[in-house]
Amino acid sequence: MESPTSLLEDSPEKFTRAQGFLLTVVACAGTTVVATPLLDYLDLANIVMLFLLTVLLVAVRLGRNAAILASVLSVLLFDIFFVPPRFSLAVSNIQYVVTFAVMLATALITAHLAAGLRQQARESLAREQRTRALYQLARQLAGTLTVEQVVDIARDFIEKQFNARPLILLPDEEERPRVVSHADSLMVETHLAQIAMEGGQPVRSEDASGLGYAQLYLPLRASMRVRGVLAVKFVSSPTDLTADSTSLLEILASLIAVAVERLHYVEVAQATEVKMLTERLRSSILSALSHDLRTPLTAMVGLADSLFLVKPALPATALETAQALHDQAGRLAGLVGNLLDMARLNAGEVILRREWQPLEEVIGASINLLGNALEGHAVKVQLAADLPLLEFDAVLIERVLCNLLENAAKYAPKGSPIVVTAKADADAVEVAVMDHGPGFPEQRRDDLFKMFVRGESESSKPGTGLGLAICKAIVDAHGGQITADNRLDGGGCIRFTLPKGIPPVVEEESR
Amino acid sequence: MNAVAAKVLIVEDEKQIRRFVRMAVEEEGCQVAEAETMTQGLIDAGSRKPDLVILDLGLPDGNGIDLIRDLRGWSDVPVLILSARSQENDKIDALDAGADDYLTKPFSVGELRARVRALLRRRSRSGETVSPLVEFGRVAVDLSRRVVTRAGEPVHLTQIEYRLLSTLLAQPGKVLTQRNLLREIWGPSYIESSHYLRVYVGHLRQKLEDDPTQPKHFLTETGVGYRFQP
Repeated sequence: MESPTSLLEDSPEKFTRAQGFLLTVVACAGTTVVATPLLDYLDLANIVMLFLLTVLLVAVRLGRNAAILASVLSVLLFDIFFVPPRFSLAVSNIQYVVTFAVMLATALITAHLAAGLRQQARESLAREQRTRALYQLARQLAGTLTVEQVVDIARDFIEKQFNARPLILLPDEEERPRVVSHADSLMVETHLAQIAMEGGQPVRSEDASGLGYAQLYLPLRASMRVRGVLAVKFVSSPTDLTADSTSLLEILASLIAVAVERLHYVEVAQATEVKMLTERLRSSILSALSHDLRTPLTAMVGLADSLFLVKPALPATALETAQALHDQAGRLAGLVGNLLDMARLNAGEVILRREWQPLEEVIGASINLLGNALEGHAVKVQLAADLPLLEFDAVLIERVLCNLLENAAKYAPKGSPIVVTAKADADAVEVAVMDHGPGFPEQRRDDLFKMFVRGESESSKPGTGLGLAICKAIVDAHGGQITADNRLDGGGCIRFTLPKGIPPVVEEESR
Repeated sequence: MNAVAAKVLIVEDEKQIRRFVRMAVEEEGCQVAEAETMTQGLIDAGSRKPDLVILDLGLPDGNGIDLIRDLRGWSDVPVLILSARSQENDKIDALDAGADDYLTKPFSVGELRARVRALLRRRSRSGETVSPLVEFGRVAVDLSRRVVTRAGEPVHLTQIEYRLLSTLLAQPGKVLTQRNLLREIWGPSYIESSHYLRVYVGHLRQKLEDDPTQPKHFLTETGVGYRFQP
């Protein structure tokens, strides 16, 4: 590929101005030398044509100024060397004055037109080059996979096209522009970058250049938002930036912005995918673990029970041991269940299987599920008559209620009732589980819902301090709140809320 | 107890679990056959013609649900599922495939024996002529006359309530999935509208249970469905 010429300087000259003039002089002199021997064969009018041709060629090759010089020189040389009396400026026939005038006029007009054409050709060439460069840039940017690549491509482009050094700044978490790669020692005025990013308009500062800072700050405007700032430091002063160059820089900025935005969404998509895979892995590990732990526990519980079936019956002490084995294995199973639940709930967003349903049902199911664990406690359920349908995950809320009821049964004295109430207010339904136990210590109530925290740290009652943490995780996932409290007459009370929402209509049945 | 010992097939890959399940079932006076894999289980179910199949869902050579589907192609032998908790979907799939009941691991021998007894009782009853009279608690239902009374007082049920009641009564002890009940009573387009089912089960409890908040007969299997317990 040919090396792209700088677009900042207006157009390339093959020769310097002095060289151009020298060549012009040489060309005119050459024409004179060539035409002299032809004088015997050619009319003077045709010699004029030769000079006009020279002017045309000079105009095409060397530009307007050289062509004007060639026009004047041609007339002079024609006068001196060809028009009698030769070798003098004097003119024998006054008619030749007309010849000179016409010749000069023709030459100048030719020079003007030819030079104009040349200028246009060069401009369109430059335009084409610019388009090609931008096209190439867009193609390169479309293939980028990292922001660093975008920066490299932009730097290449700006260095070649503008003889300037760029830096790209992207917003950090606090929406402050931050330089992407530090490979470059170019200094940027972050304040100006911030203005450009917030305002969405280019910011220029001539003062900054003296201090070695980048002078031009262009916002990277993409379809959704400003994605960052392109800072450019020109080696020369940027005051001579043409309109073309400015618009080119703006196009460049928006191309970079699109690339950065695309990369942003690629990143978002990748993060989602990674999260999904992690989630899947975690849930498969948890269910494998759950299976592997539960299988031996099931065997232990069942085998301990089966000792009761041995014939002839084992002695009473052996059966007591068997019962203890059964109970301990059952407890262990409960703990494993709690730990796995906590791991599942803690692992990230809880997946809720929400369905609209009456609260009453899940309360009844929880009491039924606990069965023997509630032995010695009458459970009173007092529900307000106007409870709406609520949208919740029944399995998880059942878990909350079971944990709360089990706790109450564990700590309250045998024979005391446990009361479950529920009432609705404007935007939530509050469920309370109350017992006649020792209640909760005043100062540590909020800690109760943290993992591995227990009301009394050295309690003789078995437990891990996971139950309430699980409740909190589940209630939180439903957008509710859970609090611990004591009843006026002593005894613990845990309340949790579930948001009301707009329940679906159950059409009345036509009778 | 039946005059002829009932035959029970246990399909479970874990030896120790098989052992105590066998002891518990034998205690019920049943003959027991064991299978470790799904393939063996299917062969035994065909050749031994058991009266009850106890099936672990996680078998080494396949999913127990496939075994149920296969089995249901040619047999209506009751199937009791053994499954781990927190796998509601597996339970629902197994029940929808035709399983009758499930036990969540770990379970006690007492629970297991109760379920086995209930399922075997249903089998022995199937041969008798079905009585149109069903009684539970203080409620009596005459299916032939569509009359429901509670403590002697007639109870008015709407059409849907009555249809729900008779569907539940038809399969006592069996867990009926939500999907199953919704399709049966409201039709296939209501399969996702589980709140209908819940509201109407609530109505039945209000009208027929002594304490609707702690039902004794219309039991919820949370996340799965309902069970009628006579």
